[in-house]
Amino acid sequence: MSDFLLNWLINIPGFAAPFALAALGLIITERAGVLNLGAEGFMLVGALAGVGAMLNGSAPLLALGGSVVAGMLLGLLFAVMVASLRINHVISGLALVFFAQALVSFIASAERWNNKAIAGLEPVFLGQDVVIFAVPVLTLAVLWLLNKTRFGLSLRAVGENPGAADAAGIDVTAMRFAAIVIGAGLIGLAGGYLTVAVSRIWVDTVVGGRGWIAIALVIFARWHPWRAVLGAVLFGCIEALIPRIAATGADVPRYFLQMTPYLATLGVMIWAALRGSDRWAQPAALGQHHIREERD
Amino acid sequence: MSSTELTDTGHETVAATPPATRLRMVPLLEVRQSVSERLRIGVYVISLLVAAALSVALLAWSGVAPSDLGREIATTAFSSPRALGSVLVRTAPLVIAGLATAIAFRANFWNIGLEGQMILGAIFASAVAIYDIGPENGRVVTMALAACLGGMLWIAGPGLLKQRLGINEVITTLLLNYVAFNLLLHMVYGPWKDPVSAFPHTEQYETFERLPMLGWLNLNWALPLAVGLALILWWIMSFSRVGYLLDLMSSNARMAGAVGVPVAGLTVAAILGSGAVGGLTGFAISAGVEFRMTQDFFSGYLFSGVLIAFLGRNHPLGVVVVAFFMAVLLLVGQSLQVFFGVPFALVQLIQAIFITCVAASEFFLTYRMHWRQAA
Repeated sequence: MSDFLLNWLINIPGFAAPFALAALGLIITERAGVLNLGAEGFMLVGALAGVGAMLNGSAPLLALGGSVVAGMLLGLLFAVMVASLRINHVISGLALVFFAQALVSFIASAERWNNKAIAGLEPVFLGQDVVIFAVPVLTLAVLWLLNKTRFGLSLRAVGENPGAADAAGIDVTAMRFAAIVIGAGLIGLAGGYLTVAVSRIWVDTVVGGRGWIAIALVIFARWHPWRAVLGAVLFGCIEALIPRIAATGADVPRYFLQMTPYLATLGVMIWAALRGSDRWAQPAALGQHHIREERD
Repeated sequence: MSSTELTDTGHETVAATPPATRLRMVPLLEVRQSVSERLRIGVYVISLLVAAALSVALLAWSGVAPSDLGREIATTAFSSPRALGSVLVRTAPLVIAGLATAIAFRANFWNIGLEGQMILGAIFASAVAIYDIGPENGRVVTMALAACLGGMLWIAGPGLLKQRLGINEVITTLLLNYVAFNLLLHMVYGPWKDPVSAFPHTEQYETFERLPMLGWLNLNWALPLAVGLALILWWIMSFSRVGYLLDLMSSNARMAGAVGVPVAGLTVAAILGSGAVGGLTGFAISAGVEFRMTQDFFSGYLFSGVLIAFLGRNHPLGVVVVAFFMAVLLLVGQSLQVFFGVPFALVQLIQAIFITCVAASEFFLTYRMHWRQAA
């Protein structure tokens, strides 16, 4: 029993970290008023970039850097769609996920990166790797960026009231570009961590809806970084439990176990909605475009 | 008069000092008050052409020359009645998938759960087949109705959560796809594993549990079903009172509610209708193509459904046309995979290019761009 507990506990941070990183990236993007349904796509390109770099002989940390860059590059595309061309945020997000799914599947099969084991990120302390220890630091950094810097103030202003921000001399489009690209970098890192540290292999389904779970997590966390990390740990607990239970040989139907993260996400969303304080927590201009000449 | 003209005509071409205030043109956006039908069609056609050009370039880069591509399209789709028949067989479920998505989109409900609804549809239809529910001569109809019921059940949750609690349906419908997929795996690896072959799919449906053949080419009843459904929806959306109210509602829900349109009732009907047709898509593939429930019969349909509805402008007849071209694309993609070794994901990439180009083109419909001199 203590073996079971220990094995479970030691695996929680690894499963929680991708959720936490993705949620932090989403918070930055959404605080600027951009509804980001593309999280799954950013994670996919990040995950593939990580595998690709590792298979080409890069060091794990460098590979994770590649994941950040890949996320940011796709973020640029999303920024052009949402911030410049002002396409509907839902359509842009979905198109982006579809595009990313196709792109990673195409590249992985063209480069023959499927099902090839990679070395991966090694633990440094308490069975945890550096990224785990970086998560709290990054959370503090995001909090500092959003709440203590002029950039963060402008970013939040754009998310709450782009008209007023514009009148105050803030470049709304530029702020949203920056928020999307920074956020996409973090979400890309989350994807990279999934392959470089957790699965250590590429299959097209490696991200498996975690980007969507992260979006729900951010709603649950009411766009607050620490609460998002807490939610990520909760999902880490659930995900780390699944292989543990399977390993005990207990007679629990395997596929019902695999449903639990998705069902838990639904539960969390229902709970957040019933609590009903989302109205003020959600950035007021989330999903809205800003055109200076538009009169409402 | 611009500064360059001055330097060109002047004597001091080299030593020309830049003017104190340089003329800088900045784009300014203006929201269009109205969009003419001609502009709408023009922009749409141009965006399709751009997407097609990008796709041809992408294929050329992957080693399929445009001439080869043209030949491949001609032979795959139009070389013989038999080839055309294969395209139409492929078209039928795509039409139904596109309709399922379009119904929800028309009511401003983002149903991204088509694959989940297809799976539930196939599970319900298979249950009818496996447990021999209902008389044999009406079995296939019972299966179709059961599939509709399964799809409706699967969308009812997200619909309820959206209507009652305002929970974003994009995320809930999408998450339920994963739940449904695991349920499917549980069934085909567990209680419903094929007893004959022990493969992870259900046992084969009996002849009377399949969609009957039309007796022309290799077509079965899925095509008339799809086209009939499209015609009925076309009538509902374009000529009936319900369609008129839907239009009112989707342009301004609050105003529609204020003048007495039953907004909640209409939305719920559209959501459930979308789920039912989604379930029917699963049935059309299981009972019309595979003759059993396989573990990946649904894959790619979510993407295709959204694309077909979006490119077809949520119009039932538009859906039929786009679904036909999508079927051609999918078949050509398969044959390119065989003869040119091009990964099938390229087809998905082409789909993504189309959806992105058409979405981006909306910019030109929503806004008018002016170039104005900066201060």
